[in-house]
Amino acid sequence: MEELDLLKKAWQKDTHQYEQVSETDIYKMLHTKSSSLVKWILIISIFEVLFWTLISVLWNTDDFLEKLHAENTIIYFKVWNFINYVVILGFIYSFYKNYIKITATASTKQLMQDILKTRKTVQYYVWYNLGMAVVSLIIGFVLQFVFNPKMKLIADRIAHEDSYNTLCITVGVILLALVVVVGLFWLFYRLLYGILLRKLNSNYKELKKIDL
Amino acid sequence: MSDHLEQLFVKQLKENQNIIHKICRLYTNDEDAHKDLFQEVTIQLWKAFPKFRGESKFSTWAYRVALNTAITLYKKSTRRVATTPYEGQKHFLSLDEYNFEEEEQIKLMYQAVQQLNDIEKALVFLYLEDKDYTEISQTLGITEVNARVKMNRIKGKLKKILNP
Repeated sequence: MEELDLLKKAWQKDTHQYEQVSETDIYKMLHTKSSSLVKWILIISIFEVLFWTLISVLWNTDDFLEKLHAENTIIYFKVWNFINYVVILGFIYSFYKNYIKITATASTKQLMQDILKTRKTVQYYVWYNLGMAVVSLIIGFVLQFVFNPKMKLIADRIAHEDSYNTLCITVGVILLALVVVVGLFWLFYRLLYGILLRKLNSNYKELKKIDL
Repeated sequence: MSDHLEQLFVKQLKENQNIIHKICRLYTNDEDAHKDLFQEVTIQLWKAFPKFRGESKFSTWAYRVALNTAITLYKKSTRRVATTPYEGQKHFLSLDEYNFEEEEQIKLMYQAVQQLNDIEKALVFLYLEDKDYTEISQTLGITEVNARVKMNRIKGKLKKILNP
């Protein structure tokens, strides 16, 4: 292509004068903070991990179970909590490992993959916690039905004559609450990362298209 | 990091800054964004500098980091309101070889290149820098064959932009 080769010739001679940056300017730049995408992802990820870890730590099931006089189930929750902590630590470790792997000297595609992988790890972490929260809520409801005398009344009604409506309403309310909570979280993440990763995602798609 | 390393880095960057300016010029639309991106590239280069072993030339190493920053890492601040648009295209040809017709052709070509997407720009940039397809494919992380195919498609696209 003739025009492109003309540009190439001119490009190589580089007569274009750019406003030159002095050594002092460069020194100054070295001490300014980066505002790269990776940094933003790191900051938000740390907040996410902190938030969910705090919630799992603060979630005190013992009191709840004692109040319900369901002490004999406490041991199961202890095991459950232990497993939960192991999983959380595993997530944090792999997030850290992914993060330090990110380097601007990798190939463009590799760099993008590394960033997306880091993001995915945190995403899985959030979904894991959300899933745990949902399961905990359901177990909580079940325990209420079994051990709480007030809820027993409803349970008894469900078990007897005009039970169908009461059952539907109870299950419906519980499901609706769950859907709203999970939906809000999903929306929040879509918005947050949709904006943050828009450019990266479209460039990654473009790069993958070339290699098809 | 030691002062010596910092000195070395600043000196090398100053000498090779045009390569970064070229990328900034290609990927931004106004002077503020140009400076912004230049600064981010500098920070990224400095972060990676301790691992730079001098196996390749500083410039070769720098354009990879600079391209990655422009394509992937750079988060353009969207809050910016007042921007200073680039003043009209500066000259590509020097005075002694100046040819109005040729200069116009080059300008139009450059404007066409600016309409490409981020990845296409990277390919064209490397092509203009006279890098071979091995290096282009390694920089972007695609296969050599596909880099070649894509470059041919881009040429077709540029032709269409120039002669709609």
